[in-house]
Amino acid sequence: MIIKFITMNGHGIYVWFSFSIVFISCAVFYLKTRKTLRKYENDFLVDLQNLPAEEKNKALGTSKVAQQILAANSKMN
Amino acid sequence: MFKFFSSSNVYSLIQKLINFINSIFFLILIIGLTFALHLSPPDYVQGDSVRIMYVHVPAAWLALACFSSITFLSILNFIFKIRNFYFINKSIAPIGLLFTCLAIITGSLWGQPTWGTWWVWDARLTSMFVLMLFYVFYILAFKLLRKEELIIKVSSIIAIIGSINIPIIKYSVEWWTTLHQPASIKIIGSSSIHPAMLLPLLVMLLVFLLYGALIFLMKYKTEIIRIKKKNLKRL
Repeated sequence: MIIKFITMNGHGIYVWFSFSIVFISCAVFYLKTRKTLRKYENDFLVDLQNLPAEEKNKALGTSKVAQQILAANSKMN
Repeated sequence: MFKFFSSSNVYSLIQKLINFINSIFFLILIIGLTFALHLSPPDYVQGDSVRIMYVHVPAAWLALACFSSITFLSILNFIFKIRNFYFINKSIAPIGLLFTCLAIITGSLWGQPTWGTWWVWDARLTSMFVLMLFYVFYILAFKLLRKEELIIKVSSIIAIIGSINIPIIKYSVEWWTTLHQPASIKIIGSSSIHPAMLLPLLVMLLVFLLYGALIFLMKYKTEIIRIKKKNLKRL
């Protein structure tokens, strides 16, 4: 039964290859997108930390996005 | 109403949506794969190679849907100059390109056991190849050009010209004699696909939709951070 499931009456190679290509390319694309997102989040935090205290407080006070990135980062850490 | 669409509200909504998709994605993927690879019946002519349909068709549908959305938003952006549409299009385009490439590759893998050839330059296959080229040109406009105004102009022109290809893809199997089979699923009129195959197809379409939405949200989130980072430098 397992052999039949794998070979699919001679069509297995086409079916498994199709699903594998889709799965691998989607996974690679997802990981690449996530890596870029993380990089931008970290770069943003580095820029925020490098600001003088007054400007940093101003940025955190006016930008909710900055607050959320900071909160998400401290949660991860 | 407009306050709701502020970047901070959109940003937190994106995070909630990403978490929601992450929580249900693998369950739906497993259900879809179980149906597609095991529970759905083989075709009486094509045998088990018909299972390739469960990845090929959703990829092709979403490739067309992505380009149609890009065209629609490009026209709106051209008229109303809404900057957000530029970022939305920038986030959608790579997903559309990925799905187009997957539709072409899986179609080729389906073609070999069904037609006895990997590729023929018939109307459907060629028009899909042209769609891929339009996606490549569209993304290159973002990569190669520097001025945002110029990018909007060039990319909108590419999208509007490329949209001519969308009905050609859809009706190519009816207008010309092609190796590709006619549409089995119709929105208007009765579909010729058996419900035992339609259900797995719809589940796999949902999987692809969720995956596309997840990537789009992550890319859009990256764009928001990029803008905020620029604003930070201006302080």
